[in-house]
Amino acid sequence: MDRRTVAGGIAFAAALVLPLVLPTFFIVLLIEIAVVALFATAFNLLMGFGGMVSFGHAAYFALGAYAAALLAKKAGWPMLAALGAAPVVAALGALLFGFFIVRLTQTYFAMLSLAFGQIVYTIIFKWTGLTGGDNGLLNVWPPEALRTPAAYYYFTLAVVGTSLLALHAIVNSPFGYALKAIRENPRRARFIGVNVRRHQLYAFVLSGFFSGVAGGVFAFHNGSVFPDFAFFNKSFEPLVVVLLGGVQSFYGPLAGSLGFKLLEWLISKWAPIYWPLFLGAVIIAVILLLPQGFVGLLERRTWWTRPAAR
Amino acid sequence: MVDPARGALALQTVALRKHFGGVQAVNGVNLAVPAGDLRAIIGPNGAGKTTLFNLITGDLPHDSGQIYVRGEEVSGLAPQDLCRRGLGRTFQVTSIFRRLTALENVQTALLTHHRRHYDILRPARRLYRDAAMSLLERVGLAGQAGKPSGILSHGDQRRLELAIALASEPHLLMLDEPTAGMASAERHEVMALVAGIARESALTIVFTEHDMDVVFAVAQRITVLHQGAVIAEGAPLEVRANAEVQRVYLGHEKPGLR
Repeated sequence: MDRRTVAGGIAFAAALVLPLVLPTFFIVLLIEIAVVALFATAFNLLMGFGGMVSFGHAAYFALGAYAAALLAKKAGWPMLAALGAAPVVAALGALLFGFFIVRLTQTYFAMLSLAFGQIVYTIIFKWTGLTGGDNGLLNVWPPEALRTPAAYYYFTLAVVGTSLLALHAIVNSPFGYALKAIRENPRRARFIGVNVRRHQLYAFVLSGFFSGVAGGVFAFHNGSVFPDFAFFNKSFEPLVVVLLGGVQSFYGPLAGSLGFKLLEWLISKWAPIYWPLFLGAVIIAVILLLPQGFVGLLERRTWWTRPAAR
Repeated sequence: MVDPARGALALQTVALRKHFGGVQAVNGVNLAVPAGDLRAIIGPNGAGKTTLFNLITGDLPHDSGQIYVRGEEVSGLAPQDLCRRGLGRTFQVTSIFRRLTALENVQTALLTHHRRHYDILRPARRLYRDAAMSLLERVGLAGQAGKPSGILSHGDQRRLELAIALASEPHLLMLDEPTAGMASAERHEVMALVAGIARESALTIVFTEHDMDVVFAVAQRITVLHQGAVIAEGAPLEVRANAEVQRVYLGHEKPGLR
């Protein structure tokens, strides 16, 4: 068994046992960590593996969250059906916006994704009749059996775990290989027969799909959804998490979300108004000292053993 | 639409033109490369060799004229569609997937060639692994398979790019200065490799090259470009003896064309 399998096994066992020993507050925190981990991993399919930085990914998280909430509240769907539809709605949004976004590269890609994100935010904010506008949608609760934090935690663990396994498979599939080839060299990728834009669009849709899963799970956890879910602040959350955890590794966003939420909790507890200041300092420190992110600490090549630059 | 009269030609261009501003980079080039040819395109810097390459491979749109691959008009096709029609290429500046291993570079090209690249369920690690290894062996890189390709030596990266191009099983391979930046001994080694591959696989190869020793050693026929136009074409001996080539291409009396 290699190191990674052992580490994964320990993490999974810990994830199963922790809720039995932790107070409710931390169970809730773990749910939020899991949701952010999935959102950031879906985001990193584009950034880390496809070389595409989206500044508007909150749109797909919010589409998932609002689809779940609206279907449950207004259409009276059971939670599982609403949760199943959430990523489909997010993926359709990603297909529609992605069609235009993947036509651009680099900064223009980021800016157009941001613009579409703000459009989604504005629609949610203004369409009061459907979305409740600024008041959001309240009382989006799961069925009785999943109402305790521990029960919803295990449910989240199952959904997020399955989604992460699927994303892991995608990254290591032939599709993932071609995606990495595009990241490395789009021109060469074309000359081995890859339709670059189409491939990028499919990756965008997959990323939107799993962002929608995260949004749907979060809606029922939170019990309410708000326009803020689509605001650009939310779009920067996966970016920060990926930078902290490590963009090069599939596990980077997992480590990043753990570190991010724990730091947020620690600092907010002692000095809430300084949270952005601390976060900024931590990001600068990580970028300078650990360009591979937190997972860089686990790799053999860390900042103190790193060989001299080539 | 395949024109039977053109069918025997691996590549043909008819009155191909491209200008950049006021410069006619490619000025009415007619090129006819029969299947199985090992064709060198030479010419002084700025003669239009790379532009001609980029027009044929769909990297640049041309202003007028036609391009036929195996008799089929391919003008306006995207690079990935040309690749599907059996046209492979390498670039003047090495173009590989630097953070992937040498093996993954070739595997990815094979996966795409076999149209498996939309498969999101199967692990890719073992797919076409043996085929990729034998391609690496063929270009002399079997020992480097597991290394990230970005850390390979310059010459090995050029060889890798050749293996990537071969993975798509092209019938026509366009090599833009395949030995650029190599030492003389390695140039001959790589071109001998290219010639050997062409023979074994019945490939048609079109290449540009600055080193005249290399060109005259391996090319079956040579096309000479000058200011965007073809000024001579023929077997190496004919081209060497051509007075106009000596005048315009060499600038003065025959250094290099010994």
